[in-house]
Amino acid sequence: MNRTARTRAFITCFLLAGCFTAFSARLVHLQVTQHDEYLALARKTHGERQKIHGRRGTITDIRGEPLAQNDPVKTVVVDATLVKDPRSLARVLASSLKLPEAAIFERITREVFSETQKKEVVSPYIVVKREVAQGIADDLASQLAKRKMRGVSFEQSANRIYPNGHMLCHVVGYVNGAGQGVDGVERTMDSYLRSYEGFRNIVIDRKGNEIVPYRGEEHEARHGSNVRLTIDMGLQNIVEQELDAAIKQFRPKGATVILMNPKTGGILALANRPNFNLNVQDGVKSEARLNLAISAQVEPGSTFKPVTVAAVLNEKLVTPDTVFDVDNGFYEWCKLKDDHPSIELTVNDILVRSSNIGAAKLAMRLGDQKFFEYIHRFGFGEQTGVALPGEIKGVIHPPHQWSKISITRMPMGHEVAATPLQIVTAMCVIANGGSLMMPQIVHDITDDGGTVVSAFPPREVRRVVSKRTTEQVRKALIEVVSKKGTARLAQVLGFQVAGKTGTAQKREENGRYSHDKHVCSFVGFLPAEDPAFVALVLIDEAQTKRGQDVGGLVAAPVFSRIGERAARYLGLTPSFEEPEGSVVAKEGKNGGTLRDR
Amino acid sequence: MPDNRRRHANTVPIAKFATCVVVGIFACGAGLGYVWCKNDLYATGTQIKKVEGELVQLRSRNEAARTNIAKLTSTAELDKRHALGWIKLVPITPDRIVVVGSVAKPTGSGELRAVANERKQE
Repeated sequence: MNRTARTRAFITCFLLAGCFTAFSARLVHLQVTQHDEYLALARKTHGERQKIHGRRGTITDIRGEPLAQNDPVKTVVVDATLVKDPRSLARVLASSLKLPEAAIFERITREVFSETQKKEVVSPYIVVKREVAQGIADDLASQLAKRKMRGVSFEQSANRIYPNGHMLCHVVGYVNGAGQGVDGVERTMDSYLRSYEGFRNIVIDRKGNEIVPYRGEEHEARHGSNVRLTIDMGLQNIVEQELDAAIKQFRPKGATVILMNPKTGGILALANRPNFNLNVQDGVKSEARLNLAISAQVEPGSTFKPVTVAAVLNEKLVTPDTVFDVDNGFYEWCKLKDDHPSIELTVNDILVRSSNIGAAKLAMRLGDQKFFEYIHRFGFGEQTGVALPGEIKGVIHPPHQWSKISITRMPMGHEVAATPLQIVTAMCVIANGGSLMMPQIVHDITDDGGTVVSAFPPREVRRVVSKRTTEQVRKALIEVVSKKGTARLAQVLGFQVAGKTGTAQKREENGRYSHDKHVCSFVGFLPAEDPAFVALVLIDEAQTKRGQDVGGLVAAPVFSRIGERAARYLGLTPSFEEPEGSVVAKEGKNGGTLRDR
Repeated sequence: MPDNRRRHANTVPIAKFATCVVVGIFACGAGLGYVWCKNDLYATGTQIKKVEGELVQLRSRNEAARTNIAKLTSTAELDKRHALGWIKLVPITPDRIVVVGSVAKPTGSGELRAVANERKQE
């Protein structure tokens, strides 16, 4: 090889080497020096974070009837950078989604300034419509596929649906727009019900299709757990229907009915009026949202007397047959009256005839401090701990704040404020043999696979009185619902009922007790010998003829109707033959039921 | 050049050639295999995507159907339909109710009790 040829070869090799070196340097510059910058750009252009939808847990009653569920819906999103023919796409979207075509076209062609590209570009994320029903979304997707139109995606979401509308609205509660529980069990059990969205990092090609082999990090969605309540919708339906009938009859300001299992503390049914439709949140008045059973306080009236009698009997200061002088219906020094005047009454008869004077004398024998202690032991003045939001404690003043006559007023349920749930929980103490049970609304919580995540077994708060005491009070309460008691209209055909009426005067704004406005109530249980449920019927300001707005005439018949239907629903065997002359015996013989009254 | 050496010098290097062919075929095969695998990977990915989409859609439809069933079988809806006469149910009248009367109290565990069902006379 001559010198010229060698020089040429050398120059060629040098140039080639120089070229390769330059390319290599450029590659190093791109891959190493500017690695992060270009990686970010590639991710931005081709990388996407795909959401994986998580379902909120459902709420069911004890038998599995759905009370809160999810209705799957889609959000239609357009990536305008992938749209080739916006006019045609707008037409298809408009016809499927029932939206004006011009508005859609304007939105998908509107240009916005891009910081990365430093120019006006169409948006890659335009929400065209939210809450599109599953069927419509499916139909739209198939139309787009048929026309080979790109740039439209469907994001999964869900609407919360309450199949029973008004029923049980204060217990179930509702969620806000962000899917967070705002009221009821939806709120208290939100941490269990809540779902967490998952995600998947994906890479898309220039047509917007996912390149599956390049899938990145993935986190599964966490579905919410399912909550099962202690509520039985069969009983709830009975309660709602009878409450509606009572509302129609008495047109009261408000009303509450609670059914509770005295042995477990499980709430079987709970209804308030006014109420509202859970599926229609707009325009609901604030008073309709109030759960009267736990957020309203009332003076319990005579339904408080069993507490007084049980306390005195438990302290063995008297026996059921101990006789008290009841001053022929007027107790002079504290200006206390009885509706049914008597000269003397036994402890039993004080309950049966609902004597205010007798109850006052019993409490006086017990003493301020002891009486106050028993009130607390029965659960008044403290939250019951039920898993519902907004529960109040009620008001029980300590003895040092009492007036001279407080000891005569409190035994008859005045000067104390309690929630309806506290009243029914206190009656459960008598019904179950002396234990204060914590009211339960949630039975258990299961995960998506059906495994129990959390259970809420019956919880005894404390032992309040002895079994013997409860037997003695129970006997007296059975007599209350007899011919000689104040609650004979609470009788249920075939069953022995025990209970107590209450008629509490309401306080006026000036602090005085009203003579026209009453809270009528009845709290009782059946069968008296082995109670399946305790029920409270409380009706606020019933519109009746003068003198007829009393617990025995307003609330007791409602209890009777609920009791009769509930006993039939629960399959309780009638085991009691009414004595001759009782209301149910007479009506039973005529072939009618208490419901006909 | 001796005969024996000339014979050796003119022979075709079959072994070398065969090695080259084998290496070439292997390289081509590997290349084609890689491309085939890559294509298959993409095709499978597309299938996975499609099946995933179908699964999501079926789950959504299933949930929508369950919600619809819950709505239609809810106590409130059945009550409404009953009131409208859609469900041909008649409320139980008192004359159709059999009341178990005179129930004998059990005297011992496991003992059969005599009960009397009496229909009320109109």
